[in-house]
Amino acid sequence: MVLYKSRLEVEMAIFKPADVFILLSACFLTAWLYAVFWFDNAQQGEADSLLIQLADNEPVEYTLSKDKIITIQGHIGPSLIEIKQGKARFIHSSCRNQFCVFHGWLTVAGDTTACLPNRVSISLKGTLNDYDAIAGGQ
Amino acid sequence: MKLHFTTTHEDHRVALLAALAITIHIIESAFPSPLPGIKPGLANVVTLFTFMMYGWKTALQVSLLRVIISSLLLGTFLSPTFLLSLSGALFSLSSLILTQQLFYLFHLTLRLFSRHGLSDNNYSQPGAIGYAIIASISHMSGQFLMAWYFFIPHPGLFKLLPILITFAVILGIVSGIITQLTISQLKRKQIQKSQLQPDNQ
Repeated sequence: MVLYKSRLEVEMAIFKPADVFILLSACFLTAWLYAVFWFDNAQQGEADSLLIQLADNEPVEYTLSKDKIITIQGHIGPSLIEIKQGKARFIHSSCRNQFCVFHGWLTVAGDTTACLPNRVSISLKGTLNDYDAIAGGQ
Repeated sequence: MKLHFTTTHEDHRVALLAALAITIHIIESAFPSPLPGIKPGLANVVTLFTFMMYGWKTALQVSLLRVIISSLLLGTFLSPTFLLSLSGALFSLSSLILTQQLFYLFHLTLRLFSRHGLSDNNYSQPGAIGYAIIASISHMSGQFLMAWYFFIPHPGLFKLLPILITFAVILGIVSGIITQLTISQLKRKQIQKSQLQPDNQ
């Protein structure tokens, strides 16, 4: 099979056979990445514990494997936090807006919600995310 | 005392190409990016051109000089930005070398099995577009892995990877076309020159 007649033609060609091969592989790679990271939820970080932080105190860790309802005495009143089947949520808070309750279940490691008036924040911790980010640069 | 050292033709070539790459890099960094992490990467055109015309050793010198000097000029030397830039450059160059060797192996096996024999490795080697796609994907994934491993070790970051790779492929094709046109133009000139003066060869 002769693809090109002369050496000059080989060097002038914009697309060579190997280029087409690489381009197709790149398209397949991209499609595969979309399939894995966007449409497969099993990849998301598994959470194994719940951190509850009150004001500036050290966060207290609870395991997610036992279902439990925790009452935290916040700044303006009690907050009720429920742990159920590896998920966690606020079920009651003494604040006015109830944003923390409306946030719903925390399911994935790194999920966080907080009640600012009551100064209570909860987040799920997995094995991978010991910290969120390290800022740097210019 | 006067410091004196001799420079070769290759040194001049490296200096010229590195200066070109640094200039492009700095001009490019002045433009705002629509998405963090996405840049046209036109400075890599110079690296790719050098790789294809003069081989990987020259390309390595040019890209290291570009990364170090432009970070000194931009004030990001030894910062996370510099680390990402360096790892991207090294990742992309090493995958370029790997690709070249793989296609050379492919060429050798083809020659083993074909009766007539493909005499020229040029037939089976990819052109600038193929190399540019490889370079930009590996540049992006190298940077991404460094960013994920050192700065943001959060699994949510991987949601961003498909978008970044999509842009890498598109921008890789663009820079590949630019490189290919440059190389074609240069080779055409060389061939015309050699046809005009046949005694010079």
